[in-house]
Amino acid sequence: MLSYILRRIVATLPVMAIVALFVFSLLYIAPGDPAVVIAGDQASPEDVERIRQSLGLNRPFLVQFGSWVWRILHGDLGTSIFTNLPVSAMIGQRLGPTLSLMIVTLLLTIVVAVPLGVVAAWKAGSLIDRVIMGFAVFGFSLPVFVVGYMLAYVFALELEWLPVQGYTPLAQGFWPWLENLILPAIALGCVYIALVARITRAAMLEVLQQDYVRTAKAKGLGQGGILFIHALKNAAVPIVTVIGIGIALLIGGAVVTESVFAIPGLGRLTIDAILRRDYPVIQGIVLLFSFVYVLVNLMIDVVYTLVDPRIRY
Amino acid sequence: MDRRTVLKGLAGAGGLALTGGLSAPAIAQGAAARTLRFVPQANLANFDPIWGTQYVVRNAAAMVWDTLYGIDSSFQPQRQMVESEEVTDDGTTWTFKLRPGLKFHDGEPVLSKDVVASLTRWSARDPMGLMIKALQQELTAVDDRTFKWVLKQPFPKLLYALGKNNSPCGFIMPERIAQTDPFKQISEYIGSGPLKFAKSEWVPGAKAVFEKFADYSPRQEKSSWLAGGKQVMVDRVEWVIMPDPATAAAALQNGEIDWWENPIADLVPVLKKNKNISVDIGDPLGNIGSFRMNFLYPPFNDVKARRAVLMALSQEDYMRAIVGDDNSLWKPLPGYFTPDTPLYTEVGGDILKGKRDLDAAKKLLAESGYSGQPVTCLVAQDQPITKAQGDVTADLLKKLGMNVDFVATDWGTVGSRRAQKTPPGQGGWNMFHTWHAGADCVNPAPYTAIRANGDKAWFGWPTSAATEKEVASWFEAKNLDEEKAAIGRLNKAAIDDVVYAPTGFFLSYTAWRKNVSGVAKGPLPFFWGVSKSA
Repeated sequence: MLSYILRRIVATLPVMAIVALFVFSLLYIAPGDPAVVIAGDQASPEDVERIRQSLGLNRPFLVQFGSWVWRILHGDLGTSIFTNLPVSAMIGQRLGPTLSLMIVTLLLTIVVAVPLGVVAAWKAGSLIDRVIMGFAVFGFSLPVFVVGYMLAYVFALELEWLPVQGYTPLAQGFWPWLENLILPAIALGCVYIALVARITRAAMLEVLQQDYVRTAKAKGLGQGGILFIHALKNAAVPIVTVIGIGIALLIGGAVVTESVFAIPGLGRLTIDAILRRDYPVIQGIVLLFSFVYVLVNLMIDVVYTLVDPRIRY
Repeated sequence: MDRRTVLKGLAGAGGLALTGGLSAPAIAQGAAARTLRFVPQANLANFDPIWGTQYVVRNAAAMVWDTLYGIDSSFQPQRQMVESEEVTDDGTTWTFKLRPGLKFHDGEPVLSKDVVASLTRWSARDPMGLMIKALQQELTAVDDRTFKWVLKQPFPKLLYALGKNNSPCGFIMPERIAQTDPFKQISEYIGSGPLKFAKSEWVPGAKAVFEKFADYSPRQEKSSWLAGGKQVMVDRVEWVIMPDPATAAAALQNGEIDWWENPIADLVPVLKKNKNISVDIGDPLGNIGSFRMNFLYPPFNDVKARRAVLMALSQEDYMRAIVGDDNSLWKPLPGYFTPDTPLYTEVGGDILKGKRDLDAAKKLLAESGYSGQPVTCLVAQDQPITKAQGDVTADLLKKLGMNVDFVATDWGTVGSRRAQKTPPGQGGWNMFHTWHAGADCVNPAPYTAIRANGDKAWFGWPTSAATEKEVASWFEAKNLDEEKAAIGRLNKAAIDDVVYAPTGFFLSYTAWRKNVSGVAKGPLPFFWGVSKSA
């Protein structure tokens, strides 16, 4: 297993290299100029040109790319054109909020979606099934920002139970940390819950028709034991796959959620950097996201072996 | 590796990131009683007010760095860091003395050498600074508190230049910082203003914190814009960046923030209904909407085509598209200068007044030789003001019979494409939309957009000898009457040649919780004099 993981990690290097080349090339040819944004609206073209020169943006593509790769190989993601801060420090500032949001959303999803899917499969064709699946369609159809605004209006403005916006680090207390994440996690989790619930239902329906489930029933095992110990474990592979793939959905959704709830996470950093054409920051974040995605895929493969002993690498 | 090892590893990694392993901002902490939480107009993405000239940087910088003079609400420069000044009879040699006891935030005294270095850096970037630099014979420190500026010829607007609130302002920094190349960013944010910048708490895009500077010695006069005694009444000012206006509105209603600089017009009715919130016009100098036509290429290289557009445009259409139905938020503007300011004039502005004459405009356009070629119109969709104006312009041009190539893009792309001097079909353009802060349009000194010196002019590169002549006349004017006369002639010349198309004058609101008092109207948010009760 360990050698498999190491082989997979080594295999990510060419993937990351291709991503790096792609991202750099794309930004190079994309319209827009950070020097213009820095100089401000009243700046003269000469000022813009001087700033462009001082930032090294006039250098040929290969020179810029070579120097960027050289820095990356030395563990340096570069310095933000705008803030003059190291990109790694900026990402570090934003990692905590995004990670918190994703973890709470992920936990919420698993706690809500998996039981819903299991119950829907158990009661397939019944009113309960239709209600759950109706909820899933509803959750899947609503844009994140609409859910976010509705939640903020009801639970923050009207009921005054939770804050509208912001983020508090876990180090400053569990409840202050959690109260800022509840509404964003629900807003972000709606689509994800709907997706996982539907996949869980489909996977469970298939498993519940297997002979060993009938045998378990014949042996007199309780319904809970059959559903959650025997059937769910055997239905887990597609569910784990979807949860893993869904992390990519979460990264995309976090961009919107962080804006709606003013959470200072990586999603907002990405948008800000793109709008300002802060190339080093965009490149750093895209590399990070690519790495996370590759890592999540690796983790999914590892989890397969934990839920299904037949899978070995 | 077993299941438990994997789970422990994941929990450990998550815990590290969420607790001690990463520094994370505390945006939503319960605000201390003496903390003012403010939502600015935009993100503070950099903090060098000479290198980056965005308004939001200037607004933050005005807390941290002080100026030698400060413009007051009557547009007059008043002494700020300066105790006294003397000028020779021929107007060429100025000697300034600094106030005693001025200190930087690192505890070092403010000395003349710091002023000389700061003015040298500023004058390399500021339009007025560049004019002074061109006349400069020497700028030297005489002693620790005295410095001398010797010019080759008089520059009557010198004190105005040193105190103006237009970006870049003449902020005074320690010499070691001010010696940074003006086209490179500083990395230390040490000033002598009434608030200190807490760099360690800065999360660009999310939060910026300013703390009261205990050693600041304010002037004794009453504060007025950038002039007078800058008495800070709170211990801490926290800027909370909120990209979503609906979130900012909700946070203000919920008491999570104290002051929102520029609520959008759509949300103002909701805020006005809240008994805990005050809403008022923030900046009485407002903004001037505009679109610029490219003088280098047809059809707008012909003044008849430019006049045809001006003749047909309805400023009311533009203003309603920007501010909606609130009539208190806009005014027609038959000219280029900010209404209700001393130099405001409508001389020569008849073409923008009265009923719009589409037929006459079409006739004039035909006389210009326009033959249906595409008009490349750049419109930034991510800026509500430019998007609204772009939509109105597209409709206007179509009514005139023009073939509109509507380029819907983002502000970053407009910003770089408008600098292209290539023909419209080869990456260039024919027109783009923007707006100008009214504070920049009170006189020609900071008003880059009014200049019409061809290649050296702002994007669109207008050429108008008459306009440039009157700009020079204003700079040479010795009193207000002469200034007014020059501005009248300047307004007429600029409209005759259509340096750009003004689409109207509009204002915006600011909103704050009622436990906050002392919010002053002005071209930027002033934090001195603002207090907050529990």
